[in-house]
Amino acid sequence: MAPFDPSSRPEQEAYARWLAWGTRVGFAVLVVTYLLYVTGIVAPAIPTERLPELWALPLGEYLAETHAPTGWAWLASVGKGDILNLVGVAILAASTLACYLRVLPIFVRARHRAYVAICVVEIAVLIAAAAGIF
Amino acid sequence: MNARRLVLGITTGATLLAASGAAYAARMPAGGLAWWAWPLLLFATTFLMGIVAVVGGIGGGVLFVPIVGGFFPFHLDFVRGAGLMLALCGALASGPALLRSGLASLRLAMPLSLAGSIGGIAGALVGLALPTRVVQVALGITVLLIAVLMWWTRNSARSEARAPDRWAMALGLHGHFHDPAANRTVAWKARHTGWGLASFFGIGMVGGLFGLGAGWANVPALSLLMGVPLKLALGTSGLAISIINTSSAWVYMNKGALLPMIIVPSILGVMTGARVGVRVLKGIQASTARNIVIAVLMLAGLRSLLQGLGF
Repeated sequence: MAPFDPSSRPEQEAYARWLAWGTRVGFAVLVVTYLLYVTGIVAPAIPTERLPELWALPLGEYLAETHAPTGWAWLASVGKGDILNLVGVAILAASTLACYLRVLPIFVRARHRAYVAICVVEIAVLIAAAAGIF
Repeated sequence: MNARRLVLGITTGATLLAASGAAYAARMPAGGLAWWAWPLLLFATTFLMGIVAVVGGIGGGVLFVPIVGGFFPFHLDFVRGAGLMLALCGALASGPALLRSGLASLRLAMPLSLAGSIGGIAGALVGLALPTRVVQVALGITVLLIAVLMWWTRNSARSEARAPDRWAMALGLHGHFHDPAANRTVAWKARHTGWGLASFFGIGMVGGLFGLGAGWANVPALSLLMGVPLKLALGTSGLAISIINTSSAWVYMNKGALLPMIIVPSILGVMTGARVGVRVLKGIQASTARNIVIAVLMLAGLRSLLQGLGF
């Protein structure tokens, strides 16, 4: 039996390629934005000196105290150092969705109905989670 | 070998020392330690955690939540969000290489991850709605059960290729991969697909609820329940975590429970530690390392349980 050949499952190779890019870009953005944040180059929405008194609070109290954005409202404050970090997080979290969108047409072309259905439902679940429907 | 054991001993000791330092600092008044000391302390702790996690054959996420939740001053809501991101990043980073080498199967991961994603979202929503003490008690019990499961399954590495079920046939859950360590090609077929889907829903829910990586449960489910060879189970588990934790991570992000000051140093610490851990791993007996991880989990689980009970 021949060793595993990813080209025999084209969706596997395509998924790996897109995941590698998404992860690479996501990590790079996460590290750069974090450095901008902790060095104070980009001023944060919540002063770093206040964090030790805030991060011990339950989420509800923390949000009430800081008025930190929820849902996609963070996009409006992306110029703030701490909020800027969420760009890297969003890229990392969106990588899987991008990979599913990439492999969907491969399954469609192969007429593999079960995997087309799985892909469509997973994409719907991820979009719903990202959109804050849950 | 003795020198390597010494390294492992020092690593474990340093992890406990860092945790003790954090516990001491956590008892200080809010202004007792400058804000910048916390990411440094977090980086040092997660660096050591990364070494122990690799040597013990588990993801860092399962150690992160009970240890950081138990010994650092951060609220459990933020620790769970960071734990999810930690497990997600580790899984995303290893995914491409696992897929290309054939040590992870996308077709096997996809249906299981769908069940896990739905469970993960449910778990994340429940976890953020429950009172902290309830979550702490449940986390403590879960971590103690994980330690027991790891002890119970420590010698259950073997799986056999048996006849696949109807669902596995329909989904094409079979194939082969090259095992470089044994230098041979291994054929595999999945079975008990329905039970596998149900297990992944439950595992996803626990992962989303507590912010744990789920390798500790995915691997036995794939290997022992579905009959997938252990190496493929390990690789596919990592890929499944990257999909399942994505959906839970979105929930935590939308609720505002992701704090960059906790997340980024933790991710960098665990990933750097994991690279060192890979080197240490070469000379360490897997059983010794696993026993140490089990002991650390027992301690962390017990602390979480006692905290939740008000002690």
